[in-house]
Amino acid sequence: MRSLAAVGLASALLVAACGGGAATPSANPASASATVAAPKPDIKIGLATAKSGAANFYNPQQSNGALLAVEQINAAGGIAGAKLQLIVEDDGSVRDQGITAFKKFIEQDKVVAILGPTLSAVAAGAHPVAQTAGVPVIAISNTGLGIVGTCPYGPCDWIFRASLGEQSAVPETVKAATQKLGLKKVVIIYGDGKFELDDLSIFKEAFKANGVTVSKEIAYTAKDVDFAPFVTQAKGETPDAIVASSLAGAAGKILDEVAKQMPGKRVIGGNGLNSASLLPNANAGLMVVGTAWSKASTDKTNTDFVAAYKTKFGTDPDQFAAQSYTAMIVLADALKRSGNPTDHAAVKKALEGVSSLATPLGAFSFTADHDVKQPTFVMTVKDGQFTPFQ
Amino acid sequence: MAEQLYNAVFIGSIYALFALGFALVFSVLDILNLAHPTVFMLGAFIALFVIGTLGLPWFVALPIAVLVTGLFGIALDRVAFAPLRRRGAPALSSMISSLAVTLIVVRLVELRYGGDFITFPAGAVPAFVFRVGDATFEGIRLAIVVLTIALMVVLTYVLRRTQLGRDLRALAENPRAARLLGVNVDRAIAATFFVSSALGGLAGVLLAFAYNTLDSKMGVPLELRAFTVMVVGGMGSLPGAVIGAYILGFGEVASLVYLPTELRDAFAFGLLFLVLVLRPTGLLGQKSRDRV
Repeated sequence: MRSLAAVGLASALLVAACGGGAATPSANPASASATVAAPKPDIKIGLATAKSGAANFYNPQQSNGALLAVEQINAAGGIAGAKLQLIVEDDGSVRDQGITAFKKFIEQDKVVAILGPTLSAVAAGAHPVAQTAGVPVIAISNTGLGIVGTCPYGPCDWIFRASLGEQSAVPETVKAATQKLGLKKVVIIYGDGKFELDDLSIFKEAFKANGVTVSKEIAYTAKDVDFAPFVTQAKGETPDAIVASSLAGAAGKILDEVAKQMPGKRVIGGNGLNSASLLPNANAGLMVVGTAWSKASTDKTNTDFVAAYKTKFGTDPDQFAAQSYTAMIVLADALKRSGNPTDHAAVKKALEGVSSLATPLGAFSFTADHDVKQPTFVMTVKDGQFTPFQ
Repeated sequence: MAEQLYNAVFIGSIYALFALGFALVFSVLDILNLAHPTVFMLGAFIALFVIGTLGLPWFVALPIAVLVTGLFGIALDRVAFAPLRRRGAPALSSMISSLAVTLIVVRLVELRYGGDFITFPAGAVPAFVFRVGDATFEGIRLAIVVLTIALMVVLTYVLRRTQLGRDLRALAENPRAARLLGVNVDRAIAATFFVSSALGGLAGVLLAFAYNTLDSKMGVPLELRAFTVMVVGGMGSLPGAVIGAYILGFGEVASLVYLPTELRDAFAFGLLFLVLVLRPTGLLGQKSRDRV
C-alpha cells in the first residue's frame, strides 16, 4: 500500500508539474499570440503502404516518393501557409490491416485525404471505409479492375486513381507488340491471384481486338515453385510469344524458362513485370511491358524528380516512387485550388478538376470515372534498365 | 513428353529434398518444426552472403551454408524446443515457438536484403545446359535429382545401420528409456537438428542456384507440400516422404498435361487423398514404435 501511495503521489506531482508548465502561457493573455499570428495547423494526409507482408518490396520507394513531394511542397510554402503532414501506416499487405489503417486515418488522425493502400486486394477492403466516411482517396499502385468507376462494393466516387490501370496499359502493350513482332498466336500463362486474373481477361480482350489468337491459357497457383512444366506445355502450341499474366517473382522464372526452352521468343506482360527486381535477370531483355513511368523520359518534371530523389535517398526511384510522388503533387494542386483544404468535399471537387498537370508520369488528368489519364510507356529491358520497346 | 517426365522428376526431387529434413525431426522427436522453411531460406541467403559479400565461389558457399544452417538447427533446438521439452509442454507450444523463430529470422533477413526477390551476382551460379534434340537439361537440376535419391539412401542407411541411427531410433521410441539405456539423448537430439537443418539449408541453396532467385518467403510454398508428402508417405518414414514427393510431382505435371489447368491441384491432391483412403497410415506408415 505504501509503495502504491508513493507511486500515486509521484504521478500527481508529475501531472502537476507538466500541467503547470503547460498552463503558464495562458496565465498571461497578453502573450506572443497577440503580436504573431498562430501558425496554421498542419494538413494531415495518410499514406497506407505495405511496409510488411507479401508486397513489402514496394517499400521504401512508395513511402519515399510521397515524403519527397511533401518536403518539396512544404519548402515551397505549403498550402496557403499550412504545412503538409504525412502520416504513414503499414497496411501489412493484408485486407484487415489496410482497413485498420484507413480507420485510424479517418477517426483518429482526421486526415484530409488518403493515399494507398499498396495492393488492389487490400484496396478492395480499405477503400469502402473511406467511401463511407466521405474522405478522398488516391490509389497509387492499384492497377486491377473495380478500383474506380464501377466498383464491386457500390458507389466509389470518393476514390481516385493515380496508377495507370491495366485496362489502359495492356491494350497499348499488346498493340505495340503485335505490330512490332507480327504476332499471330500466343499462349497465356497466368496466376490465380486477383491481379493476375484481371490481367488475363484484359489480355484476352486486347489480343482479340488485335486479331491475335490465344491458343492456350495455362494456370499456375501461388504455391507453384517450378515453372518448367508450364513453359513446356506452352511450347507445344508453337506460339509466337508467351504472355505472363503474373507478378514479378513468377515472371522471372517464366522468363528464364522461355529463354531455355523457346530461344528467341518474347514474354509480354502486365504491370507485374514492371519491377526493378527483374532488371538483374539475365533474360529480362525478353520482356515487353507497358508502364506508367519511364526513368528515361526527358521531360523536365521527370528529370528534376529523378535528380531530387537520388540526392535525398542515394538511389534511383522506381515507378512506385514516381506514382506516390505524383499523387502527392496532384493532391497538393487540388488542395491549393479547393478554397478550403480541410474540407473533404471541396478537396474531392478540386481533385476532379485536375487537368494536364505536369508530373513525372507526363501530363496528368483524371477521367470522369476518376481514373488516371496519362501516357503509356511500352518498354523492354536493355543493359539492366527499362528502355523504350522499339 | 520426355521433357514433362523430367520436369515431374525434378519437381518431385524438390519436394523430397525439402521434406527429408522436415520428416527427420518429426520421426525422431514428434515435433512439427515450422521453422524448417526458414532454415531452407536461410541456407540460400547464407550462400548469397558468401558469394555476394565475401566474394567466394559457389562451391565454397555451398558447404558453408550447409554447415551454418546445421549449427543454426542446434541453436534452434536449444532456444525454441529444449526449454519446452524440459517442461513437458504440449506439441502445440513447440509449433508456436518455431513459428516465432520463423518470424524473427525472416524479418532479420528482410532488414538486410529487403522483402523482394533477388538474384546472385552475374555468373556466380553454376550454369551448365545441354540439349538433346528439342529438350533442354540443366546440370544443377540433374544434380538435385541425383542428390535427393542419394541422400535418401544415405539417411536410411545411417538410421538403420549405424550407432547414431540406433540411438535415434531408441530416442524416437522412448526418450527416458533411451537415456536409461545409455543413449546420449542430448547428443542424439543435437545430431537430429543438425542433420535436418543442414538438409534444409542444402535444399535452399540448390533451389536458389537452380532458379538464380531467392526471397525471404521462398520456403513457404513448399511447407504445405512437405507436410502433405509426409502424411502420404507415412508420418515419420523417410523413404515414404520421398515416394510421396514423387507421387505429388508426377500428379501435378500429369494433371497439367492431361486436364484443364483449373483441375490441376484438385487432381494432384485427390490422388493423395485416395492413397490415404486406401492406406490410412500412409504408403510406408508404421506404428510409432517402428518409426525411423
